[in-house]
Amino acid sequence: MQKIRVLVANRPRLMRDLVLATIGEQPDIEVVGETKDEAEITELVERLRPDYLIVALDEPEIRPGLCGFLLGRYPQMKILAVAPERNSSIFYWAFVDIRTKRVETSELGILNVLRSKAELVEI
Amino acid sequence: MAVATDNICVFILAENRLLREALTRLLSKKSDIRVVGASAFSPQVVEQISAAAPDVLLSDSTAVALSDLQLIPEVRGAVPGLKVVMIGMEAEPETFLRAIHDGVVGYVLKDASAMEVAAAVRSVAGDEAVCPPTLCLALFRHLATQRSQAPNFHFKHNLGLTRREQQLVQMIGRGLTNKEIASQLNLSEQTVKNHVHRMLHKVGASDRLAAVELCRSQGIFT
Repeated sequence: MQKIRVLVANRPRLMRDLVLATIGEQPDIEVVGETKDEAEITELVERLRPDYLIVALDEPEIRPGLCGFLLGRYPQMKILAVAPERNSSIFYWAFVDIRTKRVETSELGILNVLRSKAELVEI
Repeated sequence: MAVATDNICVFILAENRLLREALTRLLSKKSDIRVVGASAFSPQVVEQISAAAPDVLLSDSTAVALSDLQLIPEVRGAVPGLKVVMIGMEAEPETFLRAIHDGVVGYVLKDASAMEVAAAVRSVAGDEAVCPPTLCLALFRHLATQRSQAPNFHFKHNLGLTRREQQLVQMIGRGLTNKEIASQLNLSEQTVKNHVHRMLHKVGASDRLAAVELCRSQGIFT
């Protein structure tokens, strides 16, 4: 079975640890890289070509720009922006234009997003 | 059945579900920590925490944002000996200082690792305080400010003088003798002397005129 490849780029260390704790032990998910440095994200995406990128939604105003840029360049990838303080995170994917969907900031919310890959790539 | 008593019992109070779930998962892996409950904020949460009787409450900073509700002080009142560790989402001195004021003894930021959160739980359980270095300066400055304001604050609260003693010091300031004061207040002269003696002791003055000057300079009366 091909694993779901995830790059974890949450800058706040605690949220990164919690996301890794959530997905790190799942048999169908592979963490292909992690970084706290957002300047490295594009380079890592280019090199690792993950299925999913997980970033922090702690600066909501800059997220649409970053996600739009990345999805324009890597439309096959999907992005989950996890909010550390809210119960609602944002899922970004490309579908002619950029689509977003709110998902619950929870372990199940994150895993559901990652595992719904097949359904969501129907574009 | 013997029950292990050396585990640190932790209750996780966080609005964010991921924080609750993943912290529970991570802390439960530690052999010396037992998560006895986890909850978001609700009107019943004090009861829930009280029933779980944790040693340590691990909370996100929403509890401070809700400080008007006095949640942390109420929980501390309900669970004697409870230590509170807070996860601050931002390194804001104001939030940090409000947390300390509410009785929080451990503070970690979202840039802390999960290991550091566990270490903070252990530290407060061992009667230590935990404070991020970036916020220590804010604490020192705050205390220094408090100190420099302390005499004023103290005097504004009348140095612990009773209403009668405050009344006396004002009458002394108007130049009345003990006998005159006794007459005006319908007290015996000895009672007035006793009041004056206690008042001098409280303000730390050597004589009645020094006490008047001290109280006047600090605005207890003009």
